Amino acid sequence: MPKTNVLAGAALLVALALVPQFVHSDYLLTVIDTAGIYAIVVMGLGILLGFAGQLSLAQAAFLGIGAYTSGWLTTNLGWPVWPSMAAAMLMSALIGLGVGYPCLRLSGHYLALATIGFGIITQLVLINWKSVTNGSDGMTGIPAPQIGSFVFDSYGRYYYIVLVAVLACAYVAWRIKTTRVGRALEAIRENEIAARATGIDATRYKIIAFVLAGAYAGLAGSLLAHMTKFISPDSYSFDQSVVFLVMLIVGGSSSISGAILGAVLLWFLPEVLRPLKASYIMVYGAAVIAMIVFMPRGLVGLLESLRARFTRRPREAA
Amino acid sequence: MHFDPVANLQLLVSGLAFGSIYALVALGFVLIYNAVGVVNFAQGEFVMFPSYVAVTFLLPAIAVFGTVVHWQLPVVGVYLLVLVLMVGFGLLFNRIAYHPLRDRGWMPVVISTIGVSIFLRNAAQLIWGSQPIVMPSLFAVDTISVGPLHIRPQDLLIIGVTAVLIAFQFFLFERTTLGKQMRATAQDRATARLVGVRVGRIVAITFVYSALLGTISGLLVAPLFTVTKEMGALIALKAFAASIVGGFGSIPGAIVGGLAIGVIETFGGFYISSAYVDAIAFVILIGVLLLRPQGLFGERVAEKA
Repeated sequence: MPKTNVLAGAALLVALALVPQFVHSDYLLTVIDTAGIYAIVVMGLGILLGFAGQLSLAQAAFLGIGAYTSGWLTTNLGWPVWPSMAAAMLMSALIGLGVGYPCLRLSGHYLALATIGFGIITQLVLINWKSVTNGSDGMTGIPAPQIGSFVFDSYGRYYYIVLVAVLACAYVAWRIKTTRVGRALEAIRENEIAARATGIDATRYKIIAFVLAGAYAGLAGSLLAHMTKFISPDSYSFDQSVVFLVMLIVGGSSSISGAILGAVLLWFLPEVLRPLKASYIMVYGAAVIAMIVFMPRGLVGLLESLRARFTRRPREAA
Repeated sequence: MHFDPVANLQLLVSGLAFGSIYALVALGFVLIYNAVGVVNFAQGEFVMFPSYVAVTFLLPAIAVFGTVVHWQLPVVGVYLLVLVLMVGFGLLFNRIAYHPLRDRGWMPVVISTIGVSIFLRNAAQLIWGSQPIVMPSLFAVDTISVGPLHIRPQDLLIIGVTAVLIAFQFFLFERTTLGKQMRATAQDRATARLVGVRVGRIVAITFVYSALLGTISGLLVAPLFTVTKEMGALIALKAFAASIVGGFGSIPGAIVGGLAIGVIETFGGFYISSAYVDAIAFVILIGVLLLRPQGLFGERVAEKA
């Protein structure tokens, strides 16, 4: 069984690496790249909500902080792209720490609301702190990353940066989930008092989750800024945070593949629905309700139960 | 800046009016939260949607699906029509967004209310377009003079209607069997069911009541702004903040929190910064969450209310 898994993984990797060879529409490539970037944000949210059970509705704000940090460093200070990306990650992680620490006493709806407040304040700052953010006009001329003389200036080339970032983030998330930190977070999610009683430093682990969610969103924000080369405050709204949450829940909140699957599927859903023209977002809303009603454990849960059904039959026959 | 008592009184009236709107919407949040233990993220759409329906029948001509229609009706008829419609809306909302998920914890319900919110906002855009629509005021004049004060009659109407509704709610909860059943359901559903309360029906009634509170806030506030698909979203978020400032789950807390946020925000917008006026509610919220997470009225009151 593990051998087939390795083979399937390798095949998937090759297939993923070949995507830009078969997709030539710039538009479609933008959609694919953005889906990957959103998958990173949603994985970060998955660490916070799925692993640790802490609901944040400020992921879009962290995305914005990453995007603006990276944008400002490259356009105003002339930093190269790669260190700016690292700085964007660090900045969002630090602000994640700053938000996470005072929010530790809160949980459930209270935490959700505090993070909504933080998100709205962040967006207002992006709109009104004109000397740094250029207000609602946004920031333009953000450079594309390059290695040597190779510039990642097309969506097809940028795809590989996104792919590497998604794989790296998925690997880190998987390492976290399967080691001590992940088990501690899971214990906190299931019962914080019991977790504390067994000697888990819940405060420390919850802060780690906040910092990681911030770092993931910061990286994603930076990736988005250097891909689109233009950023403006309205992309980092409360509504966008809600979209990330929906992606995670629909995918399956406590699994990494669920986070990726949810982000990709829900990002593509509006594209698939586009023939419906004006009514497509309305149908999207209805689809979200239908998915949550009919797929209790998300897409991953649905896939698992389908697989169980198909693998059980031969065994029953035998 | 010298102290101007007249200007400050005017600010106070206008702040109390906004605060009343927040208080009504916050009450809607709290009632649903107490009954079913979830925050309804479509609460803002309970304000927005009926406002659109109302302007459709209040204006002499309005474009619906891109076609101009002339469906103007008498004002009282329109208000009644919208209220009746929203009773149906509340029942339907309960059926679709809450009832199928009632045994699955709070997160799925939150997501499905978010789905409803997305659906309604975009349905509104599809039906009525993206241009803001002005709702005609009930009053012939924008402001009236009381001595040196210039006051908007709409503000006074908002404060008056809110006061009546709060008195009605107090009567409902303290003096009627239905209100007592609603309180019992909020306190302990299992026990309420044991003593014969039909919990499912009470929950449905709570959704309807909450939808009606949203409707009334929408009808009251729309003439001051315009009707847009986004009009409910920020009101709802601030009302949510108000209910936490007051002490989540507490009915007096929702009212006091709503009024406080409205007044502080109005003064803050005037004296501190109009650019950051929408941040004020959330700064207060985060401050309260950090210093006194149980809110002004705490959870203890919630158990009694």
